[in-house]
Amino acid sequence: MTASTSESSAAGRNQLTAGPESALAGVRVLDLTDLRGGYCGKMFAGLGASVTLVEPLDGVRSRHRAPVSQREGLDSLSFTFLYEATGKRSVAIDLEHPDGPGVLLRLAAAADILIEDRGPAYWNARNLGYEELSQANPRLVVTSMTPYGQMGPDSEREASDLLILARGGMLSLGGYSDGQPMRPPSNQAHVAGASFAAVASMMAFLAAERDGQGQYIDLSLQEAITMTLENAAHYWELEGTIRRSFGERQRQAGTGVIRCSDGYVFVLAGGIGGNRFWPNLVDWLTDEGVEDADRLAGEQWSDLSFIATEESKAIFSEVFGRFAAGKTKAELGERSQRWRVPLAPVNSPADVLDSPQLAHRAYFVDTPLPNGERSLFPGAPYQLSETPWLPSTEPAPAIGAHTETVLSSAGFDAEEIAQLRDQQVVR
Amino acid sequence: MSRRPLEGIRVADFCWVGAGSYATKILADHGADVIKVESSMKVDGLRLTPPFAERRAGVNRSGYFADRNSSKRSLALNLKHEASRELARRLIASSDIVANNFTPGTMERFGLGWPTVQQLNPRAIYLAMSMQGSTGPYSHHLGYGLTMGATVGLQHLTGDPDREPIGTGTNYPDHVPNPTHAAFVVLAALRHRARTGRGQYIDLAQIEPSLSVLGPSYLQWTVDHDAPTRQKNRDDNAAPHGVYPCRGERSWVAIVVEDDDAWQTLVRVLGIAPQPSWSTFAGRKADEDRLDHLLASTTSTWDLGDLVVELRQSGVLAEPVLDAQGVVEDEQLAARGHWVRLEHAEMGASTYNAWPHRMSRTPWRLGPAAPLLGEHTDEVCREVLGLSEGEIAGLRESGVLK
Repeated sequence: MTASTSESSAAGRNQLTAGPESALAGVRVLDLTDLRGGYCGKMFAGLGASVTLVEPLDGVRSRHRAPVSQREGLDSLSFTFLYEATGKRSVAIDLEHPDGPGVLLRLAAAADILIEDRGPAYWNARNLGYEELSQANPRLVVTSMTPYGQMGPDSEREASDLLILARGGMLSLGGYSDGQPMRPPSNQAHVAGASFAAVASMMAFLAAERDGQGQYIDLSLQEAITMTLENAAHYWELEGTIRRSFGERQRQAGTGVIRCSDGYVFVLAGGIGGNRFWPNLVDWLTDEGVEDADRLAGEQWSDLSFIATEESKAIFSEVFGRFAAGKTKAELGERSQRWRVPLAPVNSPADVLDSPQLAHRAYFVDTPLPNGERSLFPGAPYQLSETPWLPSTEPAPAIGAHTETVLSSAGFDAEEIAQLRDQQVVR
Repeated sequence: MSRRPLEGIRVADFCWVGAGSYATKILADHGADVIKVESSMKVDGLRLTPPFAERRAGVNRSGYFADRNSSKRSLALNLKHEASRELARRLIASSDIVANNFTPGTMERFGLGWPTVQQLNPRAIYLAMSMQGSTGPYSHHLGYGLTMGATVGLQHLTGDPDREPIGTGTNYPDHVPNPTHAAFVVLAALRHRARTGRGQYIDLAQIEPSLSVLGPSYLQWTVDHDAPTRQKNRDDNAAPHGVYPCRGERSWVAIVVEDDDAWQTLVRVLGIAPQPSWSTFAGRKADEDRLDHLLASTTSTWDLGDLVVELRQSGVLAEPVLDAQGVVEDEQLAARGHWVRLEHAEMGASTYNAWPHRMSRTPWRLGPAAPLLGEHTDEVCREVLGLSEGEIAGLRESGVLK
């Protein structure tokens, strides 16, 4: 792949709005997620599917779940909703009204994929279980994301992001050496479940496009988080050892978080593939004129048992720590790469917004907000030569902003829609 | 047995180590014929990474490697050898997907860059998964999941605001953001191909999906100019919301109280004497340090299992923080059949992660176990590359098939 073809095709096509060139053009997704699964529909929308958020008349709970924006005119919308709902349409249906479920069934009849995160009990109680949905549309793929999935002793248990991270094992691998585990930001249990749900839903949709038959997908957020255990389960099985967090300490000499003049860097120079990066590190420090760089040289540094010792970690801390204290994280990030040493600045979002690499790739995209203003959003997670990811031309929708459009494209006539509105079945 | 959803799809898999191999495992376990192109001349680093079966190192003994490579075939091909390039081209010509996670330029050096592949096979979907993307000032940077976590802000945003940023302690980007986004985009490209007959080039810079899953934290900065910070285990929607010690070493309970009733229940179960102001969410939130301190000093007198049972029965949301043993033995995961045992020629029976989803009509199926290095070389040469036994022997002789 040459630089020129990649850039010109990606940049050129990104100007277009969703059209026949989208990979998922014509794919209709009903997004019935309330609190956890919004990222799934976002992945579909980015590649050109038409994603419709189906909300209660007063909106889904994710709209105002903290943290919320304080920006004027944004009506305390949550950052999660702004991020995940931008690019989706909104239709508001009161499913507690006796006529509400019938409206949803008609929308389902005209959809390809339905995703939800309230669990089957909620839908069964409204006669909207998989049986009813698949009768209305045998091609429909229905995907449920629930904390623990739909079999087993905890299938009905309620949970939240932190609890799933705990029960899935991910928390046990993080945290400080002397304290409790620490939760990552932005609800990673929700995102993990939602992104695996997107893969599974797409897989099932491709099957339905081939043979006209839909299916039901039961996704467990706990299992999605269990995928993050790396080799920890295998350490337990094969060696009987429990992997723990290394936290603020070095995992082995040359691997860990190190303070520098304006923050921190994460260095991963030790213990990779037979310590293959170690000689690069020594060369780098020698070239920088670090006086005691030779303390890091010698055969013992390629011995895994030596670099596991406190002695070796202390030497690394002294030598590298003193050097790093006089450099910024950006300087260290830049120079380490010149010497082929895996090291990265511990960036804040503000630092990342300044990344020349992401600027080159036009990663952050100027995106409309519901108050008529605009802001940068994280953009394409991938660049495709033929069917690029598309930034949204519309802001996150108001409740029911597309009720009329969506209902009429599903075959409701104007009179029906007016009547449903009058009876407050839809908004 | 039911048909797996990706049967009939072939993947020429040049991926190694982390996220790439995990992405192609998704395709393999769902029925794609994933042919892992590897070499004993430059072994996939995970084959050399512990834990090993019976603690004996060996290229066919790593549990870490095995878990990421179920359901694949292994073709040993020494890409440094000129004659191997023709075999790689033949493999690509008969494949639907060509995947790699090398730094940019590597596939081109093997003569297997996108322009070549597109000429050979215009229907091919080419997935390149380098760390920073195939173009740009940092495209040559090297790194791993842990350094990506630092690069994208995951590390900065995890931990105590008054202490070092520590991140997740794992190569998180390798396990969720990158494999899921890679599989999703490849499937979308397959759909485009089914409609148009055309393949395409996909440039997935691993830092980008890793950043995309942190979107709300970024919007706090870009929309509100409010810099997000580390929050320990706290959450704006609940108080208490944290992880508290129980009796014994490394024994932790996660507790989430989302309303005042649950708070009163927690007070009753733990038998604590709260401040009067703590009866409201705002009061608890305003005094969270003292609140957490009191809770921790009380939970630390409890046995973890007893406390979780007690809290759940009373209606307070609580879970144990499971370590690796806890997760392997967890009854809910067992009921889901999450851990799958596969028989491996050298390792014996060992454990693999299944997927988080169950598909009613076209289920995934793990197996066979991870391949031995080069296990399917002859079979692939015969069946896929159309070589005769004599040709295979000759290539083996000259060091191409190793």
